[in-house]
Amino acid sequence: MESFRFCFLMLTIAILASPALSDLVLSKVDRRIYLTSHIVRISSTMKVENAGSEKESKVLLAFPEQQAKNMAYLIATPHEGKGKGKNPVVALPVEAANPKDMPAALTLYSVSLPKGLAEGDSFTFDVLAVFTHALRPIPEQITQADIQLVLYQDSAHYLSPYAVKVQSLSVKLPDSRIESYTKLENTKIHGSEIKYGPYENIPSFSYSPIAVHFESNLPFAVAHELVREIEISHWGNVQVTEHYKLIHGGAQSKGEFSRLDFQARPNVRGASAFRYLVANLPPRAHSVYYRDEIGNISTSHLRGDSKKTELLIEPRYPMFGGWRTAFTIGYGLPLQDFLFESDGKRFLNITFSSPMVELVIDALIVKVVLPEGSSDISVAAPFPVEQWQETKISHLDIDGRPVVVLKKTNVVPEHNQFFQVYYHFSQLSMLREPLMLISGFFFFFVACIVYMHADISISKSSASYLAKQQWEEVQAVIQQVQNIISRCLTTHDNLEASLRDLSRTGNIQACKAARKAADGLLKELSKELKPLLTFLQSSPSAAQVLPKVEELVAKERELQEKVMVKHSTVVDGYEKKLGARDIENRVALQQQKLTALRQEVDDLLEFIDEI
Amino acid sequence: MAPPAKPITSPVSDAWYPTLALLMLSIGLVVTASFFIYEATSLKRNRCLAKELITGGVASVFLGFGSLFLLLSAGVYV
Repeated sequence: MESFRFCFLMLTIAILASPALSDLVLSKVDRRIYLTSHIVRISSTMKVENAGSEKESKVLLAFPEQQAKNMAYLIATPHEGKGKGKNPVVALPVEAANPKDMPAALTLYSVSLPKGLAEGDSFTFDVLAVFTHALRPIPEQITQADIQLVLYQDSAHYLSPYAVKVQSLSVKLPDSRIESYTKLENTKIHGSEIKYGPYENIPSFSYSPIAVHFESNLPFAVAHELVREIEISHWGNVQVTEHYKLIHGGAQSKGEFSRLDFQARPNVRGASAFRYLVANLPPRAHSVYYRDEIGNISTSHLRGDSKKTELLIEPRYPMFGGWRTAFTIGYGLPLQDFLFESDGKRFLNITFSSPMVELVIDALIVKVVLPEGSSDISVAAPFPVEQWQETKISHLDIDGRPVVVLKKTNVVPEHNQFFQVYYHFSQLSMLREPLMLISGFFFFFVACIVYMHADISISKSSASYLAKQQWEEVQAVIQQVQNIISRCLTTHDNLEASLRDLSRTGNIQACKAARKAADGLLKELSKELKPLLTFLQSSPSAAQVLPKVEELVAKERELQEKVMVKHSTVVDGYEKKLGARDIENRVALQQQKLTALRQEVDDLLEFIDEI
Repeated sequence: MAPPAKPITSPVSDAWYPTLALLMLSIGLVVTASFFIYEATSLKRNRCLAKELITGGVASVFLGFGSLFLLLSAGVYV
């Protein structure tokens, strides 16, 4: 009924508007409608000819309103013959046009031709228009066992503001099972393909409605909303996280669902359902995950080669008409494949849309999270998108990372083109994260130092506190004494070493010099020791330790004297050129005493240490 | 896209992250241990603040970079 009214409207328009337009004529139009997926693609090859005398450089394409509102993508390219597809095709600029005397029920786009058409010239180009939600399921509700039938409506004649000399239309269906189709003159059917035409000399604005009602059990995967988050880390990763809210956009499922039936004969009891989706991820994708709110979903398969990584995911349940599911997939990509630098600016070059095969996205939000410290952000997208900026606080951030948000509605796989985000970034900003970690650890150490240094006792005048203070002081002094004694012992060892050198080389002068240095050092040390001992003698809390310390000092002095005597004896012996054995005999007794004394001093040191 | 676009790589190859994390964390932990040994054994009056700060600083540099590389090798790209 609706289409009849529309037809009538078109007819009146045709009568009113036909004489008004330019002198362009479409000499040949070949249209192919692909209904082999739930995304409808109409590919047309048009030959346009200028029959008038004025030069023309723009061609208008008309779409009826009901089609235009579902249109997701439109591209016009110069037609190239078969086998000439080597050169990259440059798309012709297409823009929405709004000429005055056009009916309101039509949406028009104008294609700019590469060069103006003079009288009699012709130009051939291809137009690809992609429509979403253009297939209407009839019946609208089916049970699990039913097959899904959909209806597609269009015109057998090409709706154009120009007269068309020769035209033909072919409709490609997924299956040869066709419920019904409009039969006009010159209608042929070949398996799963219906052909209309050729029709000749059709006037402008001609509309001849056709409807095809056919079986389509292809997955009607529609994402209500897809949020893609692309996070760049200059430490070597581009992390992509995609949050899907998926719905089966076909005929609504009614009645009950039997898992048993579905499991037993999935092709009969559940033909309209889809069980899995395929995502073609970029090559070298790693750390791929697939999960939803309640955790990991284990039904996924990943395989990869050098050209792509293929991820096959199964939702938790088979998707019937109208059923929804929400899930998240994420993957990491190597930085060097997607991030580049030119003219001092860095840019991300990555695909815009979802990697899923044949997925319609109603609302796509792409968030590009740049590292902290990026500035001068700009976006270059191949089609118009809504954009704004946000900030996101993530790991180890201070003031948040700049986020570029791009939004586009009605997205089809044809939109999966590369886009660029340009920004300035200083290499030094990379050090922010490690510096934060370092300062965190450093504050911890400083806190420890402060805690160890702070005096946190409450009553600073109590007897026990004062006693403790004094005892600490005594301990500090004793430690210093120990320190000095051990330095003395080291000096003794040096002297012994010099004697060994003497016995080896016979160099008396060097040995004497060592003796002199040791003398000076020991004198200094004993000078240092004096005030410490005086302090210990005057301090009441040192009374217990004092005898031991004094004993230690006395023993050390004795040891020192013995060492000196031994040293003198040996050097004397060398000077008198005595034999090595003689010298050894002379010092043998002294050596015994020395060893005993050394042992005593060491014991004392150990004892004091334990206090 | 201008032709002289050169790809950007990370300053350290990501194959090195686990090794670097292990190496730097172990050095950091050894220095931390020496810091605490010093804190616990030396007397309050004989402690040298500069030495404490230097040991703490060195330990925090190693622990900081070590934990960064640990995060990176675990897949948390900061």
